[in-house]
Amino acid sequence: MTALTARRFERLERQAHNVLEIFSTLGYEHVAPPSLQPADVFLDVVGESLRGRTYVFTDADGEELCLRPDLTVPVCLLHLARHPAADVRARYSYNGSAFRFQPGGGDAVHPREFHQAGIENFGTADKEQAEADIVSHSIQSLRSCGLDDFKLHMGDLGLFRAVLASIAMPERWRQRLRQSFWRPDAFHTQLQQLASSPADAAKGLPEDLIEKIDPDDLEGTEQLVDRYLGEHDLEMIGTRTLREIANSLAAAAKDAQAEPLSADDAQTIQSYVGINGQARAVTARLRDLERQRNIDISEAVDRFQRRLDLLGDAGVDIGKSMFSAEFGRALEYYTGFVFEIESPLLGEGVPIVGGGRYDGLLREVGAPFDVPAVGAAIHTERLLDAVSMDAPEEDTP
Amino acid sequence: MSEKLIFAIPSKGRLMEKSVELLKAAGLNLRKVGHERGYRGEIEGYDNIEISYMSASEISQFLKNGRVHLGITGEDLIRESMFNVDERVKLLKPLGFGHADVVIGVPSCWLDVRKMADLEQIALVFRKVHGRRMRVATKYMNLTRRYFADHGVTSYRIVESLGATEGTVAAGTAEMIVDITSTGTTIAANGLKVLEGGTILRSQANLIASRNAQWTPAVREAENELIEKLGA
Repeated sequence: MTALTARRFERLERQAHNVLEIFSTLGYEHVAPPSLQPADVFLDVVGESLRGRTYVFTDADGEELCLRPDLTVPVCLLHLARHPAADVRARYSYNGSAFRFQPGGGDAVHPREFHQAGIENFGTADKEQAEADIVSHSIQSLRSCGLDDFKLHMGDLGLFRAVLASIAMPERWRQRLRQSFWRPDAFHTQLQQLASSPADAAKGLPEDLIEKIDPDDLEGTEQLVDRYLGEHDLEMIGTRTLREIANSLAAAAKDAQAEPLSADDAQTIQSYVGINGQARAVTARLRDLERQRNIDISEAVDRFQRRLDLLGDAGVDIGKSMFSAEFGRALEYYTGFVFEIESPLLGEGVPIVGGGRYDGLLREVGAPFDVPAVGAAIHTERLLDAVSMDAPEEDTP
Repeated sequence: MSEKLIFAIPSKGRLMEKSVELLKAAGLNLRKVGHERGYRGEIEGYDNIEISYMSASEISQFLKNGRVHLGITGEDLIRESMFNVDERVKLLKPLGFGHADVVIGVPSCWLDVRKMADLEQIALVFRKVHGRRMRVATKYMNLTRRYFADHGVTSYRIVESLGATEGTVAAGTAEMIVDITSTGTTIAANGLKVLEGGTILRSQANLIASRNAQWTPAVREAENELIEKLGA
């Protein structure tokens, strides 16, 4: 733990103790995974953008290790080490250091070594309940540390998926929209292209080959590709197979013949992406969207509403909570509900808590199947800063 | 730090030969100081300048830390080895040699991939089919990360390669590469093609000044004399 003064050190310790005590009362088992993690497993999961900020090194035995850039993956690994079949429900809490490269060595708001205290819930089938729990438990721990003024901000990738599913289009188009979702400009370009000339996606690929392909005849496509490679003296190298290349060209051939997405459907997607506001009001807007656009997203909206109800029941002030469709775009491993809690004292873009659902993560680190998982992490130095600002008589030096 | 301007010159290979030629053409004759195989030198008639011979990547590091005032090295090494390039160094003049493009190379048999935009699509499918991310072999980890992020490619992973990068795809240790090429022949000879929009940087040797070095008035004066000769 880094602290410039003994006083701050003590306050951080006391705060961590408070937080863990609350989590323990709420039924979370306190675990302490190692700070040093095997680089290989870890880095394959977190993605290259976080890897670029991870401290990686080789030890005297030639083993590649990293300093953990967060604690969620280490807790997943710990869970799987205990239960390789991933068939046990579990709730864990933790408190420990995490390390991330910051250009210029970092500053007080973005230090390269910081603390995270957090909770994870693995294997709970009732997703909305598990999500509401994670949020309300995070809030209880904030309150126990003396933070009363904060704002909850939510997003829901499940709603976006439901909107795409409600509109007739090829699955690969949905995938393209989902993958560009987190970059607003690219998303807009993608949507425009699908709504005007989907054939453009195949631009630049060998036309004479694409023309001959019958997208529904995969075996025939494979033969055509094989022959084309032979005729052009191109050798098959690398680990991508002929079948993968053929499948991908068949999809391009399909796009070359496809009718564009209707302007109406494109508008539906645009309308959804534009939704943001006070969470309860958003429920009404989602119901309106459904009616006006004549789509069926009722199941996802029901889930959204139920989550809000559960949060309200747990004492979370929903009236002050915000939702925006675009929220949570940049977080690679989240798969559904996402949230952040900010303090007006620290300002926007400096969340004290962040979390969400990541149902694919345990599988990626070795579980035999997807496991429902949701968690949250508290940036404890920021929490202490916010609390200190709130109570200036206890000002930290 | 002395009152002399420290000027770093590549210590071997074509970069050194070309640097020496360039300086000679400008009327600046280099001379080694002390041992013939030593790493220090001077320019005839300029006792306010000290020449320091080192590898091109060291020059990049020393410019970053301000341990040399001026240096000649490739722009690729500069952009790879530091964040906030403009805060740390100033590129004074491209020198017309040491040309090398940093490019993205994929197997020529990937008929379905022609441009940057095709990449993320197949990367996602690859991850599903193979249960792991597509590997990019390179020594340019930072340039690659930045460029891929700017183009929305995220489902990949870098494997560091310090030599014979073009061979990694055929060897099965990477799916694609980011490497330098001057003519493209090595890339083609290894069954690879350069992606459209896949040129990350057109690099060449540059005369570069460090912003972090100690620029005393005397050193500044030496710099002015040098720059006047070199026309930078």
